[in-house]
Amino acid sequence: MEMNDKDTLTIVEHIKNFARRHSLFVLAYGTGCGAIEVPPTMTSRYDAERFGIVGRATPRQADVLLITGYLSVKTLKRVIRTYEQMQNPKYVIGFGSCTINGGMYWDSYNTIKVLDQYMPVDVYINGCMPRPESVISGFIKLQQLIKAGKADGWKKYQENLDWYRTNQKKVIKNWNMPDYNW
Amino acid sequence: METLKTISGYFATIGVAFTVGFLFMGFSRILTARVQNRVGPPIYQNLLDIIKLWSKESAINHGLMQHLGPAFAVTASVTTLLFIPVLRIGNWFQNFSFEGDLIFLLYIMVFGQLGMALGAGQTGNPNSAIGVSRGLSQVVGYEIPFVLALTALMVYHETTSLHEIMAAQDSIGAWNIFVNPFAFVAAIIAFLGMTHYTPFDVPFAPAELASGPPSEFGGKYLGMMMTSGSIFAFAKLTLFVNLFLGGASNLLELLAKTLALYLIPVIIGIVTPRYRTEQAIVFFWKWPTAFGILSILWVVWMR
Amino acid sequence: MSDNIQNLQKSLSERLPQCSVKIRKHGGVELNSSKENLVGVLAHLREHFGYRHLSHISCVDWLEQNQFELVYILWNYESRIQLFVKVRLARENGSGISIRHLWPQADTYEREIAEMYGLPFDGNENPRELILEDWDAMPPMRRDFDTRAYSKEAFYDRPGREDAKDVRSVISGRSGEEIPEIAIPYTRK
Ligand code: SF4
Repeated sequence: MEMNDKDTLTIVEHIKNFARRHSLFVLAYGTGCGAIEVPPTMTSRYDAERFGIVGRATPRQADVLLITGYLSVKTLKRVIRTYEQMQNPKYVIGFGSCTINGGMYWDSYNTIKVLDQYMPVDVYINGCMPRPESVISGFIKLQQLIKAGKADGWKKYQENLDWYRTNQKKVIKNWNMPDYNW
Repeated sequence: METLKTISGYFATIGVAFTVGFLFMGFSRILTARVQNRVGPPIYQNLLDIIKLWSKESAINHGLMQHLGPAFAVTASVTTLLFIPVLRIGNWFQNFSFEGDLIFLLYIMVFGQLGMALGAGQTGNPNSAIGVSRGLSQVVGYEIPFVLALTALMVYHETTSLHEIMAAQDSIGAWNIFVNPFAFVAAIIAFLGMTHYTPFDVPFAPAELASGPPSEFGGKYLGMMMTSGSIFAFAKLTLFVNLFLGGASNLLELLAKTLALYLIPVIIGIVTPRYRTEQAIVFFWKWPTAFGILSILWVVWMR
Repeated sequence: MSDNIQNLQKSLSERLPQCSVKIRKHGGVELNSSKENLVGVLAHLREHFGYRHLSHISCVDWLEQNQFELVYILWNYESRIQLFVKVRLARENGSGISIRHLWPQADTYEREIAEMYGLPFDGNENPRELILEDWDAMPPMRRDFDTRAYSKEAFYDRPGREDAKDVRSVISGRSGEEIPEIAIPYTRK
């Protein structure tokens, strides 16, 4: 009996997981110069819609937040707010070397260098800037992670919220938004 | 036994409507992709989207009305569907159709939009408010030719029952699309406005309004809206098939006729740019309304 | 063209004797003004010399002389000669004079300079930040602002790889090729 119950549960989970990884709504919010690589990824030449990847205009409807490159402190504030407005489960893809170690803005006075200090990142795509092929391969990596149940950045964010907040408040000096955004 | 059969009929109708609805939407996405020289998503993509949205683990809500808005939309779609006789003959799939169902449908079809408007109003997002105002103005635009066309049919067949209209077409031996082509033109242009495909998609314009009324709806709420959208698309198509294409005697025929009708807004949507709200209303009040009036004159002349 | 420039220089020095006028090597005419005369000079250029277009206001930080230099770049659509009006200001506690009443778009440039160099403009009391947000350190475009030190202190650094090796020596070790002579000075040991 118990076995049976467990089995049905896993089947439902399988279906959910399949749907989650084959239907990725991307928030169409370009932050850095890498945003220019997103239109070719979406349109005729590379056609990301094959994988169920489509753009969505609001964070409420989106699953994936693409951080396309450098983030100035000013943008970081908006990005955090946007990220917290997305519905669980949600994923973040860091795009370009700027999100990994600062890239060519490593000594700039107004851009953050390591994205995963401020928000959980599931997949990094390196390159300055990554071509659409690598963007798509990054998405496929994300699909594999979802399949394996490892794309759980949003859980980590909720568990380690204090740590993330401390880091965020270190660079965002005037935190004039609610402490809990979602 | 009879009751069981009727009740199972309701559920079968909803199931068929949902399946056909999302398959048609997937088909339209593939068609759009092929026109743009892309491969496009699999045909069941919309089902995946809906399952994913339903399996979201959180769904923000801003108040009671936001719960009720999508629920209203689903209710309205299902009610609309259940009051339309899906097939011309047989007992199955007749559901609640009764004398005068056409009048009732005219009312209930706007209900979903109103529910959505109420829900979107609660979220307090300015984009939603703009989208709602645009959407409702558009309703004012396309309702006039739509009602004119339906009036022409009702006057011609001297009945307000969908069932009798279908039977009449059968006994005359000609579909209404040939009997009264003006009414068809008026109604099909109004139908373009109802489906919110491209020339008339300004209430939802994602590039300028962040997808309009549903912009604050995520997770299950959006899933509910997409479910209702699939069902409602099928309901509208069935209604049009019943009115103008003589209804269908089996599901396969229904599928072929609805698909043929569905291609009209999709193909027009692919190749046209977007109307602004006031342009859309002016357009609706000009050509389709003229055709609607013509259709009534035609009926008067014919009789 | 050069004839035009000569004429312009001549008439400018006649009409504006308080400024020194010279022809720039790379085209255009340069005019050095004092802070008191600046607004008058700009208004005169605008009314009588056809310099109706303000292209830009830029700021140069002369740290050694303890001065800021503002450069007003003007453009004449008829003669198609660019004009640079320069004025030197005190670096510490100095201030510029707003020319918002002559060209409204000067507001943006003045706000930017005030924000990036910390040089206020008399008559432009528009205090809103333009690009930065909640900035509380030294204005970042000043030359004595050390952006690297600031970013090291303010932002987290990702540590480099432990085995950080020179790319050239790794490749040459693998393929057995010699490192070309020209590259040797740049190769990490
Ligand atoms: S990694 Fe390169 S392309 Fe991407 S944001 Fe940074 S500088 Fe721009």
